[in-house]
Order: sequence, then C-alpha cells, then structure tokens
Amino acid sequence: MMESIMTDRKTRQVGPGEARSMARRRRYFTYVAFGGLVGGIAGFATGFFDQGDGNLFAGDWELLRLPPALALVIAGLLLAGFLALPIYSFRLIDDYQREQGLIGYSGGYLGVMAGFPTWAALYGGGFVPAPHAFGIFAIGFVSMCVSYLYARWRL
Amino acid sequence: MKNRLKVLRAERDWSQAELAGRLDVSRQAVNAIETGKHDPSLPLAFRIARLFGMRIEEIFDDGEHHDG
Repeated sequence: MMESIMTDRKTRQVGPGEARSMARRRRYFTYVAFGGLVGGIAGFATGFFDQGDGNLFAGDWELLRLPPALALVIAGLLLAGFLALPIYSFRLIDDYQREQGLIGYSGGYLGVMAGFPTWAALYGGGFVPAPHAFGIFAIGFVSMCVSYLYARWRL
Repeated sequence: MKNRLKVLRAERDWSQAELAGRLDVSRQAVNAIETGKHDPSLPLAFRIARLFGMRIEEIFDDGEHHDG
C-alpha cells in the first residue's frame, strides 16, 4: 500500500503551476539561507575578532574593539542583512506574505517605541539596569518575530 | 469575503500549489483566500477571474446585494 502511494507520487505529473510553486519555494529558502549566512558571518566576525572586552549582551560598547577595515566589512554586511535584503524580499513575495511581513515590522517598531521609555522609567525607579543599545535592539527584534509569528498564525 | 475558489480549483483537479503557481502567489496565499482569511488585492482578483474565465463577482461575494 505504502509502496504504491510512493510510486504514485514519483510518477505523478507535476503541473506547470506546481513547478512554479516549487521554484518559488526554492527561491524563498535560498533567500532565507543567504540572509542567515550574512547575519551569521557578521555576528561571528564581531565576536571572533573583537580585540577588547566588549560584550553585545552586556551592552558595554566602549570596550568593543574591531580592526577598522573589518568593522567596515561587518557594517556593510549588517546593512545588507537588515536593510537591503528585507527590502528586496518585499519585491519577491505576494500580497499575503507582505501583509504578514508588515505586521511583523510594525510589531518591532511598536516594541521599540513602547519598550525604551518603559525601560527608562523602570530604570529611574531603580527596578532595572540602565537602558542600553543592544537591549533596545533585542526588544525590537523579539517584538518583530513575535508579531510576525502571530500574523502567520492568525491571518 | 466568501468565494468559490476552492470549488473552481477542485473542478479542475488542481492542488493549491498548482493554482498558486498559475497565479504566481504562494500556496499559503491560496489557502488563506480559500478559507476567507485574506482578501486578494484587485490585481490578483483580476488574475484569478482571468484564469477561470469568469467575472470577479462570479467568484467573490462581498455579501452585498445589488439591485439590477
């Protein structure tokens, strides 16, 4: 029984639409893999070549030291990964995916707009450490991911 | 918005991926339109209508009744 099903799948003619859908999926996964690679290289290079005692998670930026040329390369990769690739991806996807993406980006924006002053107020009251850049970035990034997943789930 | 996309697709024995490829959208978009979770843009609605050789209002129903 199982064997006959597998044979059916192997021999079934793939229509022109399905072939285009498969190509679309391949393009999408290539894009995701490339984006991950760019982000991974930038993150690895920052951590590996840091000559100071800086730590992204602790936010002690004044201790972060990179060779100037490498810093420029990493900056270029980050601009590609966080700016050029997302803008390019919006040209590849359809209206439905674009709606989900925009909800994700809106969630990230709102997370930063609400997160920073809230954090600052809590710091003023002595509840939490002082706000720092990576923390604000993390709030934006996590808010974006959660909003996007919510959109994928609900829409 | 209600629509007849699933019925029209089934009549042609097309999978969602097949229809998605013919419309140049993702399979998830076809699924979302079929289940009424997502309303297609006007250009996509025209593409759908053209693909099935029908008028948009023969496929999509916004629930409004129009008098002749």
